[in-house]
Amino acid sequence: MNSFGTFVQLVVDGLAQGSIYAALALAIVLVHQATGLINFAQGGMAVLGSYIGMTVGNLVVPVNLILGVLVGVIVAVAASFAIGAFIERFVMRRFQGGEEDTKVVATIGLLTLITGAIGMIWGFNFIPYPFFFNTSTSFTVAGIAISLWSLTTFLTIVALMAVLQLLFTKTKMGLGLRAVADNPGSSALSGIRVGRMLMVGWGLAAALGTIAGILLAAKAQLNPGNFDAILVYALAAVIIGGLSSPIGAVVAALGIAVLENLAGTFLPWIGHDLKIAVPFVLLFVILLLRPQGLFGRKSVVRV
Amino acid sequence: MGSRLILEGVNLSFGGVHVLEDVGFEVAAGSVFGLVGPNGAGKTSLFNCISGHYRPSSGSIRIDDAEVFGLAPGKLAGHGLARTFQHPALQLEATVLENVLLGGHTRLPGSAAEWALRLPRTVRAERELRAEALDTLDRVGLRWAANDAADELSHGLHKSIELARALMLHPGLLLLDEPAAGLSHGEVEHFISTVKSLRSEGMTVVIVEHNMSVISQVTDRVVILDHGKKLMEGTAAEAQADPRVIEAYLGAPDAA
Amino acid sequence: MNGLRNLVDRPWARWALGAVIAIILLVLPLSATEFTNQTITRIAVFAVAVLGLNIVMGYTGQVSLGHIFFVGVGAYCAIIPIRALWGGSIAEGAIVIGFALAIIIPGIVGLIVALAAVRLRGLALAMITIALPIIGVPIAKRFSDITGGNEGVSVRRLDYVASDGQTYKGNPFSAPAWSGLADDQWQYYLVMIIAAALFGLAFFLVRGKYGRAFAIVKANESVAASMGISPYRYKVLAFTIASMYGGAAGFLYIVALQYTSSETLSFGHSIELVIATIVGGAGSIVGSILGGAVYVLVPQITNAISPESTTVVQGIVILLVLFLLPGGLASLPRVLARRFRRARGGHNVDSSNSTEPAIENTENTKH
Repeated sequence: MNSFGTFVQLVVDGLAQGSIYAALALAIVLVHQATGLINFAQGGMAVLGSYIGMTVGNLVVPVNLILGVLVGVIVAVAASFAIGAFIERFVMRRFQGGEEDTKVVATIGLLTLITGAIGMIWGFNFIPYPFFFNTSTSFTVAGIAISLWSLTTFLTIVALMAVLQLLFTKTKMGLGLRAVADNPGSSALSGIRVGRMLMVGWGLAAALGTIAGILLAAKAQLNPGNFDAILVYALAAVIIGGLSSPIGAVVAALGIAVLENLAGTFLPWIGHDLKIAVPFVLLFVILLLRPQGLFGRKSVVRV
Repeated sequence: MGSRLILEGVNLSFGGVHVLEDVGFEVAAGSVFGLVGPNGAGKTSLFNCISGHYRPSSGSIRIDDAEVFGLAPGKLAGHGLARTFQHPALQLEATVLENVLLGGHTRLPGSAAEWALRLPRTVRAERELRAEALDTLDRVGLRWAANDAADELSHGLHKSIELARALMLHPGLLLLDEPAAGLSHGEVEHFISTVKSLRSEGMTVVIVEHNMSVISQVTDRVVILDHGKKLMEGTAAEAQADPRVIEAYLGAPDAA
Repeated sequence: MNGLRNLVDRPWARWALGAVIAIILLVLPLSATEFTNQTITRIAVFAVAVLGLNIVMGYTGQVSLGHIFFVGVGAYCAIIPIRALWGGSIAEGAIVIGFALAIIIPGIVGLIVALAAVRLRGLALAMITIALPIIGVPIAKRFSDITGGNEGVSVRRLDYVASDGQTYKGNPFSAPAWSGLADDQWQYYLVMIIAAALFGLAFFLVRGKYGRAFAIVKANESVAASMGISPYRYKVLAFTIASMYGGAAGFLYIVALQYTSSETLSFGHSIELVIATIVGGAGSIVGSILGGAVYVLVPQITNAISPESTTVVQGIVILLVLFLLPGGLASLPRVLARRFRRARGGHNVDSSNSTEPAIENTENTKH
């Protein structure tokens, strides 16, 4: 294949991989906008949701593959929504108004607990995830091989973002979520049930993460540590895109993935193993030039 | 000798809301100056502009002959400015003395390595600073509480701790935000005598205060702010007699 | 209980307690088993690592999730020169070079990371430092010709030329003949002496000028700036010192184990170190020692019972501590004393300043 073909293929694969980073980054921004904290357990929660989906899905798969996968996805999304809401209500709310570093450590504790629980229940080995189609399938367009998984993943995540956008701008619940994110105090005064909104925010973020988790598992199989590195990419995207900008985070996530894919292939010294360092070199340069991120606003210093 | 403070045409707005409009006045070196006005008049916002915590949209702020408009708070300490906060920002679990020592930070010599090795010059500097901090606590009437945790003291006394901490910066210009709120009668008397003694040493002091009795006892001049604008300037007695001031306070007539 | 608390509050009692513990630690290795000695040695190694993390996280309030990276880098910086230089003309000098590099290089790396990461306020430092171990492991594997990659690098059996001109196999950290000690005892004392010195330096650092500055940067950056204390500078300083402590812990790790691999700086260990710091007690010297013990002992105990449960147990422990004992194990005596006092009816709160009348705040001057 010519190098242009390779280039296009790398970009498409990068966009697919990047949409997984983007989904997690978006989940992190969602939680941050609602509660002001960074949920370091977001990736762990996504993996937990995927394991639940696999377990339930595998009960039905022997009867019908498509139905089984579908049931798995639905159960996984519902379960992770419930887990997200539960964690907000019964764990994180205890730390509301507390110190920032305590909240961070609490989410680190959650990550450890969730990863450990997955390991105890399902073990630490890679487990294949049943999916609608064979994820190594690809089709050829104008001489360029495009992976079906990449296309599916990219389109699914884009569609989800559109749905979220509609939810936030067109529905009453979305308006409530945004109001809570802007100003929890006055939202409470205007009759919005802040607690419930926070639970919904966490639930949505967890569900979004889980869909990304399933898409990843379909290709790379399931493992408790599946999202450790992806969390790092998502955090880099969130910093580069600016914590206050969902669009910025998504664009940054896609950009990071495409860039690292290209760098990993065209710069032999970087290769597959060191490409994770690419976003961080980028990040350091950006931090030194534009500390508020590329899209974020400069925050006002509080007294 | 204290510093002179000159404000000219200071404007501040947040998202289109004008908090301060064209505020200007001059505080003579070595004088005590009052900033008075109803709640929400913009007094604390003006303090935050002077101390660099807010960045005004336009205007000029000079300390002596140096333009300090838009400088960060850390730089203003270098221009001899010290301030207290309306809601005292102390380390509540630390002792009163430790809180006050913080004000002398920039005068302590030595690198982190020297302090970790506890070289004699750091020990000496620390001992001298402690002695000075105790004297300063004496000045604000809190020496007895030096080794108590700050959270064991009342809110009113937290303001006195902040005052002591600010004095440790050896300021030429001292901004006090509602220093007498929450103090008992005896503590107010002590506060008044402290300000008078600072004035006699030539320090410039700017006070935001609701208690007009305190204002009339310690200030040389006052500015009345209302809705972010300067209403009048003069002595405290002139202000209290001014019909515009009385009108501005109509919602709360007993405040003036 | 109250009596006990009063006792602990007296300076001489604290010194006495410290002296007793010091004597026990001094005598213990002479009679304890090799396993016990090695365990205590490892606790001291990781107590230094936790102490470093405490300087930046506990005292300065900046969450670093990648501290183990500096331990791992320090371990490599120690073992690589020792392996290359030990024996021959410079002999023990190689160990000194290894020690110096293990502090200097992580310090420089930490400085560079902090200069960029601290520019963002809030949690950016946590978000960036979590990447360090995740990037560090593949980098270590890439340079496997000097780091040994997955297999790691060991100095347990190094070739050296003795004075008789013959080549022998030796371990730079085995006990010299003059000491009359077994290897585990020698390593124990070497680690303990260095760890004690590092704890002493930190003890002085977190008091006085720098301790107060770190504390106000943690509590209120705006006030810090008003005092002429640049939050940026002090955060960078704290992170750099923490990195140097991490590197020193890496050197001690080599003294204790004479081996390191890319596993040393893995993501999981980094999280464990954060957990150990909080469980031990953030912002506390004693808490750092307890944190070292938590880091070493919790996996040791859970491995003995059920190896799969290690991670879950750590997760449960950290959440329980955050819920019930936010000050960590180091705050336990204080919390118990307060509970006990409250249970007894709350009198006898503090008699130290009872000569002063209570300040009544009935008169409100703000009419």
